[in-house]
Amino acid sequence: MSRALDLAEEALRAAEGDEAEVLVHAERSGVARFANSIVHQPTLVDDAMVRIRIVRDGKVGWASTNRADGLDELAKRAGEAADQARPDPDFPGLTPPAEYEQVSGYDQETAELGPDDQARLAAEAIAAAGDFGLYGYFTSALTQIAIASSTGLTAEQELTDAAVLSLSATEGASGWAEHTSWRVADLEPAAVTEESTSKAARTRDAQEIEPATYAAVLEPYAVAELLRWFSYDSLGAQGFIEERSFFCDRIGEQVFDDKVTLSDNGLDPVNFPKSFDFEGTPRQRVAMIEDGVARGVVWDRMTASRAGDGHESTGHAPPEDWRYFGPLPTAFDLAAGDAASVDELAERIGDGIYVTRLHYLGIVDSRGAVLTGMTRDGTFRIRDGKVAEPLVNLRFTVPMGDVLGEVPGLTRDRMLVNLNELYGERYPFGALVPALATTKFQITGTGSGPGL
Amino acid sequence: MFTDQHLPATGILQTWLTQGTYVSSPQSMSCSQHPGASVQSVSNPSHEHSHAPICTVPGLSGHTAHTMPPHPATHSGVSSQGGWELVERLNLDGEAPRVGEQAAALLRAPECPAGRTTVVLSPEQAIMQVHESVGHPTELDRVYGTEAAYAGTSFLSPDDLGSLRYGSEQMNITADATTPEGLGTFAFDDEGVPARRESIVEAGVLRGFLSSRETAEQLGAGTGGSMRADGWSRMPLVRMTNLHLEPGEGSFEELLADIDDGLYLETNKSWSIDDKRLNFQFGTQIAWEIKNGQLGRMLRDATYTGVTPRFWAKLDRVAGPNEWQLFGLTNCGKGQPGQSAHVSHGASPARFRDVEIGVSK
Repeated sequence: MSRALDLAEEALRAAEGDEAEVLVHAERSGVARFANSIVHQPTLVDDAMVRIRIVRDGKVGWASTNRADGLDELAKRAGEAADQARPDPDFPGLTPPAEYEQVSGYDQETAELGPDDQARLAAEAIAAAGDFGLYGYFTSALTQIAIASSTGLTAEQELTDAAVLSLSATEGASGWAEHTSWRVADLEPAAVTEESTSKAARTRDAQEIEPATYAAVLEPYAVAELLRWFSYDSLGAQGFIEERSFFCDRIGEQVFDDKVTLSDNGLDPVNFPKSFDFEGTPRQRVAMIEDGVARGVVWDRMTASRAGDGHESTGHAPPEDWRYFGPLPTAFDLAAGDAASVDELAERIGDGIYVTRLHYLGIVDSRGAVLTGMTRDGTFRIRDGKVAEPLVNLRFTVPMGDVLGEVPGLTRDRMLVNLNELYGERYPFGALVPALATTKFQITGTGSGPGL
Repeated sequence: MFTDQHLPATGILQTWLTQGTYVSSPQSMSCSQHPGASVQSVSNPSHEHSHAPICTVPGLSGHTAHTMPPHPATHSGVSSQGGWELVERLNLDGEAPRVGEQAAALLRAPECPAGRTTVVLSPEQAIMQVHESVGHPTELDRVYGTEAAYAGTSFLSPDDLGSLRYGSEQMNITADATTPEGLGTFAFDDEGVPARRESIVEAGVLRGFLSSRETAEQLGAGTGGSMRADGWSRMPLVRMTNLHLEPGEGSFEELLADIDDGLYLETNKSWSIDDKRLNFQFGTQIAWEIKNGQLGRMLRDATYTGVTPRFWAKLDRVAGPNEWQLFGLTNCGKGQPGQSAHVSHGASPARFRDVEIGVSK
């Protein structure tokens, strides 16, 4: 039994006499953040958050703490919060006991990495930067999630994750690369930096282009970021119920190119595997888009209850920090295509732009799934089917219906892209995606050049 | 909260208490407390959002007048340091019907056209412009590159201090960690530097940076005072405190009076800016036509775009202190691992000429 489940059961005993559920979300993590090739902001966290949810007469109260010696007080506060609440007719009750699919996602070597190891692996990345300054981080963590409930449910899982993010940059030039996995042995910090440095060296003397709609090749980093922002309103049940989703009134319709198949697959060992969600519901693979046809969104128990119509939780109740957003995908899986490489995608579109990475996206129109943002750290022109001269950072404003509407191809190879920006409690998640070519990527402005 | 039964509505009330203690040799400082509250409400007849309006509460700050916003922000609602009196000032019951009507009207409103025109930003949108295109680029850690991999850098360089023309002479930006009710108000920052009020842009010229003790030393100017962490498990970073667009003169009506044809943009809906804080694009929930000095039709899906110093150069008037409003933001993201800072900004309605609107039309 993990220390997290121990703590959850101890907290549940403190809430004796009430219908109650305890979530423990614990992490031991380290981030060796570097800038200009110097580790300047190392951060080590060892913490356990305990959340109690108490139900009294259909009224629900929540309270949380990270003080292990304050569990009695925590239970009291949750009870008081329940007493002050109004009954919620949509509350579906606490999750009953369930069987969980055993998934991987824990690696002892990764779990045991300490600050010296994190600094050493950061140094390996930095040493490969050549004449460029390196910016980014190496991080690794052990995350423990445990749930104990008066319904008899108990669940526990240990997750590990590691990532190296590398921005090779100097004045007027920059390139980006990253590796992430739940096994540190999968990471090659020096190879990541070699990729970002090689990219950066090609971005000098970047040119402007006229705003227009271009065909584009998007690297996996860019594809993952687009999907993440698309998901906020369109791929979770809360946005669907509130009619913010692009999928509203479109389920069953052909909305994208038939090469586009997107699921959320938290059971896949190549992604960040997860057995259950933050309500203790078993995680399911959810088909969101199949051959371009809109199939559905992800649900938790509350949104399923609110929607009725036979909806059930798909095991996507969010962590504490995301409750405001409702259930969201956390294991994107975009099906591969048949292109051997990004160069082949460039050949297929002939003329257009090549995008490595995106920056600071925003949702312009929720229902229309119109996103805006900037490209950065490796934007190029594609001419005659070849990646050509570098471009400055470009502003794009794109309906996802355009980006995924006509897809000349996707690569056979996919990569797992880290999507966790490490806000709040640690919860590793990512997107397993190929590179993608699109015939429509609307550029609406130009911005700064690459580099510092 | 919402009286019209045809309009489903949701809302959140959050309160928090932050306690900070800074201890250092050879001196120590005592604990400060930052109680705060925020309210967000959404009226949602379909997929369109509008937010509850707030009453005017004069005379609260060091500025001549200090009003509560007419529309709670999309950024976690209306937030400020204070107690239950903040919630009472919101007058949610009284203002909700108007917001409900506006939300419904937005469904039928025509789309904002594309082109170039005179734009007046509401205080709530003006503070987003300040936050993104002045606040972040004047953070010295960004200027020196330590945020390059994530939040980005800055188009400013250390040598720009005292000489860079940031905007027109009507542009005056102040960082003030002493503003009453500000979310960035404290006795001392996370390095123990006492709170102060300082000029960042004066008559359009860059006069200061937001700094830490280390970056101020590196620059050879300033003394820090902007180092803040969002919690015990994060490292202090250079963050905004309360960054204000200082008021000019006159009323909102006077600001509109000599506009033959333009737009009034109200309540931020979307925001994005590049990694050096130059190219930006904003969207607002509501736009109003300005015709012959008067507000006209409501328009939906308004967007505008620009490049920071070129845009601020087009600022030709800021309304006076009676129009000045303070807003809190609780979702200012930065750092690896990520941190969400609580900051505040104040602004009066601000007028910009020859702005590109209707992006992507």
